Amino acid sequence: MIVQDKLTHLPERFPYSCQWEVTCRCNLRCVMCYTDCLNRPDAIRQELATADILRIMDELAEAGTLELCLTGGEPLARPDFFQLYEHAIRCGFLVTVFSNGTLITEAHADHFAALRPHRIEISLHGMTRETFERITLGQGSYDRCLQAIGLLLDRQIPLVLKSTAMTLNYHELLDIKRYVESLSRVHYKLGEEMRPELDGGVAPFQYALSDQDLGDLNRQDPDLWRDACRRESLEPPPCQSGMQRFHIDAYGQLQLCSGNRTQSYDLRTGSFQTGFFEVLPDFACDWKTAPESALIQPTVHHAD
Amino acid sequence: MTLTAIYTKHPDYVQRNVAGECILVPIRRTLTEANSIYVLNETGAALWNRIDGQRSAQDIMADFCNEYEVGTDQLAKDFTSLLDDLLSIRAVEEVAR
Repeated sequence: MIVQDKLTHLPERFPYSCQWEVTCRCNLRCVMCYTDCLNRPDAIRQELATADILRIMDELAEAGTLELCLTGGEPLARPDFFQLYEHAIRCGFLVTVFSNGTLITEAHADHFAALRPHRIEISLHGMTRETFERITLGQGSYDRCLQAIGLLLDRQIPLVLKSTAMTLNYHELLDIKRYVESLSRVHYKLGEEMRPELDGGVAPFQYALSDQDLGDLNRQDPDLWRDACRRESLEPPPCQSGMQRFHIDAYGQLQLCSGNRTQSYDLRTGSFQTGFFEVLPDFACDWKTAPESALIQPTVHHAD
Repeated sequence: MTLTAIYTKHPDYVQRNVAGECILVPIRRTLTEANSIYVLNETGAALWNRIDGQRSAQDIMADFCNEYEVGTDQLAKDFTSLLDDLLSIRAVEEVAR
């Protein structure tokens, strides 16, 4: 028997890892959020029902999916979240939850401790209430987020804290990183990419940092600088989305990845097996070409 | 472990078949196994599948020998090692001797 943290020998095309945006609902209105445009009652009514999600989860388990990331929106904004979560754990998925943390109560933390996730990733947008809530537009969200971090740390839940670099929190990003480093066994991720809203809106880009600002930021921290240099020196590999990773949106649409929703396969009416193995391979992706054959080399691509 | 003992699978482990691999996923993890999964080889998976809370380890080995061409000594060694591993992570427990 071998102890591992992930499987390494997989077929070239295998549905190993799923990111599932189980809802676009959210209690916050983060200014850079790309899903918040669908956080409205008419769109929410179209989201997958509990029974649909449970059925599709069973299909994923049957197909061999091992890693399942539940994201949103805010996944805990679904009233049935813990029913979905518990089902996912009992199916034997390695479950990651992306959350803003602000809905996690002591009882929820106990629930996570009883049935442990692979990890929980919480967005920490600022180190001051003012900055944090200027981004989330949610009064009290800063305190609730920090409280959730404490509750999860107390229970030794594997935790990642992450921030999106933007003009509103630029001056606090290094403080956030230092705060995370002061916590034992917690990892930090800094995202630099802004995305258009799912309805095509470009509002998030008004908060995007310039390349100059990002460069200045990275130069101030050895870890960030090392990562930035590594990104600069490496050719971005061809996108692997749809090969061992895939995305499902809140309406049951199977897609290559969260950043490429141009083509979808409806899991409400079709089977996952058919969708992944017969339909997804034909979906277009601009980043699937090997870098050697491209005339212009992209510096980033949209893969998760 | 004891060859005359009967073992049962612990419900806190889910068996998954992923890309031809037999994996045990703990659903109530301790901190030490926070991100671990347990991969069984072909023999280990075949033996795991026979653990049913009814038959002794000895009976399972006899059943296994009827199906596969394998030396009894080697099988006993492999099964003992596997059961020790499974007991150490509490994926199985002894229910009778």
